[in-house]
Order: sequence, then structure tokens, then C-alpha cells
Amino acid sequence: MPCWYYDKKELRNTPSSLDNIDYETEMRYRKEGARFIMDTAFKMDLGCNTKATGAVYFHRFYMFHSFRQFPRYVTACCCLFLAGKVEETPKKCRDIINTARGLLSDAKFSTFGEDPKEEVMTLERILLQTIKFDLQVEHPYRYLLRYAKCLVGDESKLEKMVQMAWTFVNDSLCTTLSLQWEPEIIAVALLYLAGKLSQFEVVDWVGRTNKHLRWWDMFVEDVTLDLLEDICHQVLDLYSQPVAEAPPDSPPLSPKLLLAAPSSSKTNGQEKEKVETPKIKPPATTVAPTLPEIPSYPYPPAFSTTSHAGTYLPQYANPTVAPPHIAAPPPGPPPPHMPAPPAVLYPPYVGPPPHYPPVVPPAPFYQPTPAAPPHRPFYPPPN
Amino acid sequence: MQPREKSHSHPGMTLKEKEKYIENFRFPFCDDSVKYEKVAKIGQGTFGEVFKAKEKTNPKKLVAMKKVLMENEKEGFPITALREIRILQRLKHENVVMLIEICHKRACQQNKCLSTFYLVFEFCEHDLAGLLSNVNVKFNLGEIKKVMQQLLNGLYYIHSNKILHRDMKAANVLITKNGVLKLADFGLARAFSANKNGQPNRFTNRVVTLWYRPPELLLGERNYGPPVDLWGAGCIMAEMWTRSPIMQGNTEQQQLTLISQLCGSITPAVWPGVEHLELYKQMDLPQQQKRKVKDRLKPYLKDAYACDLLDKLLVLDPSKRADADTALNHDFFWTDPMPCDLGKMLAQHSQSMFEFLAPPRRSRPHHTMANQRPTTSAIQDGGYQDRVF
Ligand SMILES: Nc1ncnc2c1ncn2[C@@H]1O[C@H](COP(=O)(O)OP(=O)(O)OP(=O)(O)O)[C@@H](O)[C@H]1O
Ligand SMILES: [Mg+2]
Repeated sequence: MPCWYYDKKELRNTPSSLDNIDYETEMRYRKEGARFIMDTAFKMDLGCNTKATGAVYFHRFYMFHSFRQFPRYVTACCCLFLAGKVEETPKKCRDIINTARGLLSDAKFSTFGEDPKEEVMTLERILLQTIKFDLQVEHPYRYLLRYAKCLVGDESKLEKMVQMAWTFVNDSLCTTLSLQWEPEIIAVALLYLAGKLSQFEVVDWVGRTNKHLRWWDMFVEDVTLDLLEDICHQVLDLYSQPVAEAPPDSPPLSPKLLLAAPSSSKTNGQEKEKVETPKIKPPATTVAPTLPEIPSYPYPPAFSTTSHAGTYLPQYANPTVAPPHIAAPPPGPPPPHMPAPPAVLYPPYVGPPPHYPPVVPPAPFYQPTPAAPPHRPFYPPPN
Repeated sequence: MQPREKSHSHPGMTLKEKEKYIENFRFPFCDDSVKYEKVAKIGQGTFGEVFKAKEKTNPKKLVAMKKVLMENEKEGFPITALREIRILQRLKHENVVMLIEICHKRACQQNKCLSTFYLVFEFCEHDLAGLLSNVNVKFNLGEIKKVMQQLLNGLYYIHSNKILHRDMKAANVLITKNGVLKLADFGLARAFSANKNGQPNRFTNRVVTLWYRPPELLLGERNYGPPVDLWGAGCIMAEMWTRSPIMQGNTEQQQLTLISQLCGSITPAVWPGVEHLELYKQMDLPQQQKRKVKDRLKPYLKDAYACDLLDKLLVLDPSKRADADTALNHDFFWTDPMPCDLGKMLAQHSQSMFEFLAPPRRSRPHHTMANQRPTTSAIQDGGYQDRVF
């Protein structure tokens, strides 16, 4: 199977960037495409795995093709169409297109051409070849629930935290995180972020041993605070992108943008920068609308320390209030939830994070459990 | 109509341009099917034709190519093919057919710009239906044990990976010339989970070729599981001796009648809860039938252990049917003659044997294609039959 993880340099050196689309614009296209997949999925009652699979296909697709060649909303529809079939929640192509039409402006919908269905069908063949028929995608959700089950603490606080983390996982689909890190690591990072923001300090967890400095050491290996914070910031950055500044709605054609060389790729040094000066911009008036649309997404299976993941508790089905951190992002100075890592515990962060931190326990479920054919010891036949 | 006006701001491609783009784009991960050369057609299934082919650069490497039928698909790439791909990608076992890759045939004039996809499998020289229909192929008891042991090993593996095969039948069981058995045709397979939260599954019960379909499916059960495949395993096991399918109904009703005549009446007494199944009242279930599995099959099977295992597989109540693990632990596999390699016996036959190429064993199940069969039972392609081993 192909490797679907990229480092930051590769993420800046995409077909779109070679096609003169600057990095920020590409990130915006990715975000809009993924958000559109989620909105369409939500309208069609599709579950979190279907929308997440669609979004991952979408991000992978644009590692091989340019946004200039393939308009994002058609691709988004196609990814959702395929994800629906793969996740056993198939939707008719026509219905997806009709839903899309309802969500898009006429100008945007015009990219579907004269025969939208044929457009999506043709694209599906390109999509399948592009993703090498690597259809099975894993998402952070199940890890999130699994890890949370091990944390010990005030139940209601824990629940709040898990719900918040769930929302972050939803929103992380708008970033390229799924192209950078395994779902296990994203789950740890966003649970960590939710813990910080909901002031839930994890001091104890089930299965703790002396070797574990942090709760996540139990689930993933070699994950540093720096790495977690980098992941958190990639999600938080979503909320700090002002809508008003959004450039017009298409691949850049203006002379200014065409001239822009494939954006000067910052190297990995930038994570360091980021960690040192976490910048969650104070809420400019234009910012609010892009904040996470919490009420519009299905909420996570309620979390409880005993029940099985996957049980939906009705009381969380209709969230009415956005978690506090979203309603009022901490103004001004660097938020208190991003403390500098304890100096002694970790060696200073040097260079890029290891690309594939080996993930310890849970083997992804698509990896077959090793064959252990049942064997009965031979004994002599009865007379 | 004017050609599609390119929208002011989106320079996306027209369909035509897109076709061209695909033609010229070198997909780094999806090889072109021209790397294989077709040798012979070996199967015709519901979803497409199957060909034997060899790799051009390495003619010793044989593969089976299963074409994905796209022509009359309204919903794009068929969900059945997606399932088969996804499931086979996650199953890796000696007794499960190996999916090598998915190849793509470029769009060309002939197929009207419709590109074609092929699933490429490791090639197996025979399928069990083909072998059983050839009277010159004789299995001794040890060899039959080996076949069944491998078949159950394959089932044990897929079931422990939470996959149901749902189309067990002799034609979907492949055997290599070295005697290694591979479960094939995951076109109907699906993942299942032990139903948590007391939520029953709602699977379709229109699966499994009629002759191999277990009573719970015939009675409309939707919340079924691995036992459906073990019923099929039982039917196949009996067939190792009878040489043709043991219950060849033409309708679902008739199939139920045949099952009752062999396994005894279907009643709540032998199968508690059966009365709640959707079709229990609708179907005409013969009463006062005695169970005759052992009596009727003893003349064929002879071996007492074989009769006993079969008796445990062809159990009406799915919850009492032996699972793969139990079956593998049965005395049948652990008494003399022990399971013995098939390689030697198969080496006496230098021709491939497939159901598709064999003369009909008897009537065909009604929904399989009625094919005109060539008189020969082997591929005359100069490939396999020339080999000496
Ligand atoms: N790997 C293989 N090696 C050799 N022969 C094969 C292989 N795969 C399939 N075949 C042959 O092709 C036939 C049809 O293949 P398969 O069962 O996968 O297709 P299908 O279209 O799903 O058929 P159906 O649904 O009618 O059972 C098999 O019965 C077998 O004879
Ligand atoms: Mg078949």
C-alpha cells in the first residue's frame, strides 16, 4: 500500500503549488472542500466515518492533482459518493448532487458542468486510481473514545472534554492533519487540547505504570509535547482565519497571485516558532462565523467510563451551547492552556518530528489478526 | 447547445479534456492491464468474466484477472467490487485467495472511452467444482480431510477477522496444483460485528447460491452470522463424496423441503425461536420428517467420523451448528488416515479444471448462468497441460 503521510515540505510542494496556487489558497480550498463534504454528509444523514473517509480521500486526491484542474466541489461530491459506498452507507449519485446544488451558489455549482452526474462518475475512476484502491481509512474517533475510557476523573468533566475533542476531530478534517499523522496521534493531540481547554487535568489513568510520564505514553510512543502542540495549533488555526479576508472564490487568476512563486516553503523550524508564540488571535468581529459549527454536527457517542464506545446517550444528542472556549476565546496574551513543556522531562525539540512514530498497542483493525489456526494436539484414535 | 461555457472563474476541465487527462496521467499506483497477456477465459460470473493471464515480462507468473463490469452500472464503480477489494486487502492467509493488484485498462475507441478495471489474483489451477466433475480425479479419505481442513482453516481465519463469505460453494473454492486450497469470490462477502447494544443486524438474506443456502436464510433471517458459511462447508463436504451438490432445489420452497427431508422437520422443538423468523409461517415446512443425515450419507461417506462431522455441520439451528474451530477439532481430522497432501494426486492431472469448462454435473442452480459447456474439461491453451511436475 502506498504511504499516505507527508512532511511539511511535501505538503507545500503539491501539484496545486506547481500550478501556481499559493499555499494559503490551497489550504483554503482544502478546508472548503472538506467542510462541504461534512455539510453534505450532514444533510444526508451520513455518519462520521463516511464523511471522514470522504475528506481523507479528498486530501489524498490533491496530493496528485491540482485544484486548477479539478474544481474542489465536484471532487468533494465524488469523494463523498465513493466513501458512502465504502462505508456501507451508499447514497445515489443523483441525491448527492442535488444536495450539493442546494448548498452551493450557482457560480460554484457551475463547475459541475452540463451533466453533473457524468462529471462525478468520470471523476470516480480517476479518484480510485489516484488512491490506489486503498479504500479503508481509519479515523481518530474510535481511538478518541478508547483512550478517553482509560482516563480517570470527574465524569461530567470527562464527558465534556471528550465531546470537545470530538468536535476538534471533526474540524481537523479541514486541515491536512490526516496527511501528516496517524489517527491515533491525532486523537491523543486533540484529547490533550480538549483537556487543556476544559481545564481537565489528567492525573490518573487506568493501566498506568511507572514508565508512563504522560497518559498518552500508554497509547503512542515517542510523542512529544511539541508535536502535540503543533497538531493542536493546526486545528486552532482554523478558527483564526478571518472570513472577510478570504480572497475570491476560485483558483487564483489575478496577476498578483499568478506571479507568486510556489510559496517559499518554511521548513520544520516553524513548528518551534509556533509553539513558542502560540497565537490564537483575539476574536476579530469577522472571525466568529468561522468558528466551529458545533451545533450542526452530530455529537459524539457519549462517553462513559464503563459503557462501550458507540452507545449514543440521548442527552448529548442536541448540544445547545458551544463549549466555552469557542464562545469566548481567550483574549490578548498567549492563552493559558499552552504551557511551555516542562524543561526537564523532554529533550529540546530538534528538527522535524520523526515521521512515523511507531504506534504502540492497538493494531489498526484492518490489519488482520494473525492467523492462528486452531490446533488440537494429535492423540491416537480410539480403538 | 453551446459547448459548456467555462465558468468565469473555474478553469476545471471539460469531460473530454478529463478523459484525455486520465489517458495521459501516469497513476503512480495503478498499473495498466497491458502488462498482462490473456491466455484463456476460465470463468463467467455474475459480475464479470475471469481470465487466465500471464505477465508479459515474466511469463511464468500466472494470474487470474476478474473484470469489473461497469457497463450497466448506474452508480459508478460497483459496491460489490469495492467490498471484494476492501475485504481481500485486509485478508492475508494461505487459504484465502490473494489479490495482487487492481489494474486499469485505458480508455480507447472500442470501449467508448470507458476505462475498465481488473482485479488481479494469484492463479489457482483448479476450482473444486471443476475437480469434482471430473471422474478421473479421485480423492482418498486423507485427501478429503486435507481439503476440508484447509477450507475450515480459511473460514476460521475470515470469521475471526469478522468477515462473512456468504457464497460458499464448490466453484468458489480454488485449489492450486500443489494442493493448497483458497477460498475465493468475496463478491458477496461483508463485515459483521457481534451485535453490541442488543441491536440486531439487518443483512440481506438474498445471498448464497440456493443449493448451499442455510435454512435460516431461507426463512428470512437477517441477523445471521458465521454459521451461514458452515452450512455451505457441510454441503461441500458431502459433495466431496457424492460428487454433485446434495440438495438441488429449484425454488426456495423446494430447497427448504429438501433440507427438511435430509435434516428433519424444522420445528421450534429442534430449533427454538425458529417460529419468529419472518417466513416461518409463509413457507410450507414438511412435518414428521426424521433426521436422516447419517443414514443417507453413510453409503457415500462410509467413515463414521466423517458422518459425525457432517451431522454437526448440517444442523438446522444455526446456534447449534459447529463453528470452524469446533469442526477443526473434530476427530475426523485427528484419526487415521490423517489429512494428507493433495499435491501427489493432482500431479496426475496436467489440465486445469474449472466449473466453467466442465460438462454440467447436473442441473444448475437456477440463478447461475446456463452456459453451453465445451466438451473438454480443460483449457486447451498449451499452458498448464504441457507442464510436467
Ligand atoms: N484466482 C483464480 N485462479 C483461478 N481461477 C479463478 C480464480 N478466481 C476465479 N477463478 C475462476 O473463475 C470463476 C469465477 O470467479 P468468481 O467466483 O470470483 O467470480 P464471480 O463473478 O463472483 O462468480 P459468481 O458470483 O457467479 O460465483 C471461479 O469459479 C473460478 O473457476
Ligand atoms: Mg463465483
